[in-house]
Amino acid sequence: MLIGVICGLKRFYVPWKLSVFGILKKGSMISILRINRYISGAAAAVNWIAALAIFLMMMVTTVDVVARFFRISVPGAYETIGFLGALAIAFSLPYTAAQKGHIAVDFLVRRFSRPLRIAVNIFNSAFALVLFALIAFQSYQYAQTMKAAGTVSSTLEMPVYPFVYGVAAGCILLCPVLLMDLVLQFRGVESE
Amino acid sequence: MTPTTVGIIGIVALFGLIFFRMPVGYLMAGIGMIGFASIVSFDAALSLMARDVFSVFSSYSLTVIPLFVFMGQIAFHSGISTRLFDAAYKFVGHVPGGLAIATIGACAAFSAICGSTNATAATMGAATLPEMKRYNYKPELATGVVAAGGSLGILIPPSVVFIVYGILTEQSIGKLFIAGLLPGLLLMVLFTAAIRIWTWMRPELGPGGEKASWGEKVRSLSGLVETLVIFAVVMGGLFKGIFTPTEAGGIGAFATLVVALIRRNLDWNGFVQALFETTRITCMILVIVAGATIFSRFMAVTRIPYDIAGWITGFDLAPAAIIFFIILVYFVGGCFIDALALIMLTIPIFFPVVMELGYDPIWFGVVIVLVTQIGVITPPVGVNVYVVSGVARDVPLNTIFRGVIPLLIAMIIATLLLIPFPWIALYLPGLL
Repeated sequence: MLIGVICGLKRFYVPWKLSVFGILKKGSMISILRINRYISGAAAAVNWIAALAIFLMMMVTTVDVVARFFRISVPGAYETIGFLGALAIAFSLPYTAAQKGHIAVDFLVRRFSRPLRIAVNIFNSAFALVLFALIAFQSYQYAQTMKAAGTVSSTLEMPVYPFVYGVAAGCILLCPVLLMDLVLQFRGVESE
Repeated sequence: MTPTTVGIIGIVALFGLIFFRMPVGYLMAGIGMIGFASIVSFDAALSLMARDVFSVFSSYSLTVIPLFVFMGQIAFHSGISTRLFDAAYKFVGHVPGGLAIATIGACAAFSAICGSTNATAATMGAATLPEMKRYNYKPELATGVVAAGGSLGILIPPSVVFIVYGILTEQSIGKLFIAGLLPGLLLMVLFTAAIRIWTWMRPELGPGGEKASWGEKVRSLSGLVETLVIFAVVMGGLFKGIFTPTEAGGIGAFATLVVALIRRNLDWNGFVQALFETTRITCMILVIVAGATIFSRFMAVTRIPYDIAGWITGFDLAPAAIIFFIILVYFVGGCFIDALALIMLTIPIFFPVVMELGYDPIWFGVVIVLVTQIGVITPPVGVNVYVVSGVARDVPLNTIFRGVIPLLIAMIIATLLLIPFPWIALYLPGLL
């Protein structure tokens, strides 16, 4: 991380040839862009899990309401929908970040000079990376605590920990997207 | 450092860094975590953060968001907007500015199944801008109407902003939904009046079209029927307490999907796009909710929200002056920050004050939604204007901003009417 920062600063001062770190060499630019494409592709692939979860949420609620109309109750609809919601959001984290889908205020930064803009982007990407690495790690630990304690849902008595692992997984998968943002900033590829 | 000092530093850092393109949700979570850690302990902050993230992501009451977003996305991708516009056009197309009024009418109808201002502006823009161009409407009228009409999407239920406000302030989402209905219709009338006055002063802006026969008018209504049926089932069931907001969203999404499939308006591609857009919008909103939750933990340990409430009410100011000041903050803030993000940022601070002053929480929700919607069409961050310029690429941004002005005046009048006449918002919820 620190090495990355130092290399990145060098990017502004030294010609490409002098840079000793492979990832920052000019020749490796194409491969970085390729890695970025893979990561974006993987983020979209993982997003299918989120999409499926939302579709299932809709189906479960509809079946539940229609069944209630005929005085049949679907056990555990309430908790199932909540758990599906957790999967939907966790697994859409990488895609949303890759699509630059989060709300941010950028009218001020747009007026900055290019180096300043890149510096701001580097700070933001690094901040997000550290934040989600922490959330991923903590969620993983939280899941382990739940597994050890045998926490189950109230109606179906489903174990809760796999869904917490799901949230941890979503956060972990978000990290490569954020890391790529950071690397691309150092290479001077500005993200919008 | 006292907790209050840490809290003030946190608030200043939040409102400072927000202007540096940091995603709002990430920023609130990060500052909330750091602040909580520096007052309580680092370990406590970390474990609280993981718990909050999971409890927000898996919260049943928040699943209402993806379901209503999905409903709107299906409506967006299935051409319902075109049928709504056709129906409205058959009725008012012949008067000067009639197409613009039809656009407002179609926006209002579309809002009944779509809870997002941007989606309403985008979908109505795609459906109506080419028509208005065909009838020689000037771009400033055409684009201004579409950008402003989107704000009906937020006032007329369902509405994503009301859902978030309801969850943050523990108010009934059903009551908020129905409270938005009359102000939404009032705004529709004011928009129509603005267009009539504007085209009366400058008839060249929107020449009238040919008059439709009564037979055509009646036939065009079939496009409206399905939307009204879905709206009646979803909102009726919600208001009657037959189902929860989440169930209303699920049923609404399912019904809209069925209508789109029967009408053969939705192909696999559109369906996948609707789903993926839904995941993206949901993730964006829920990340802010999670961030706001973590940030509010930090605020709670500093006790600042209570202090501010006490401090402001300690001033010897008339409640009306304070409420006016708060509305002004939303008005100015709305020009720079996305409506949803702004509400989540400020509700923890202002809501206790407003309650302390004895105002109605439902009324306050309607007022700030209306005020932040003004920000959606004003520079520099007028999101709807950017959305419309994305649809109408040949129209300069300045033209759209100019076209919005008469409708902006209508929105300001609506807000000013809501302050002395709170029953506009509170009459319908009172019937529940």
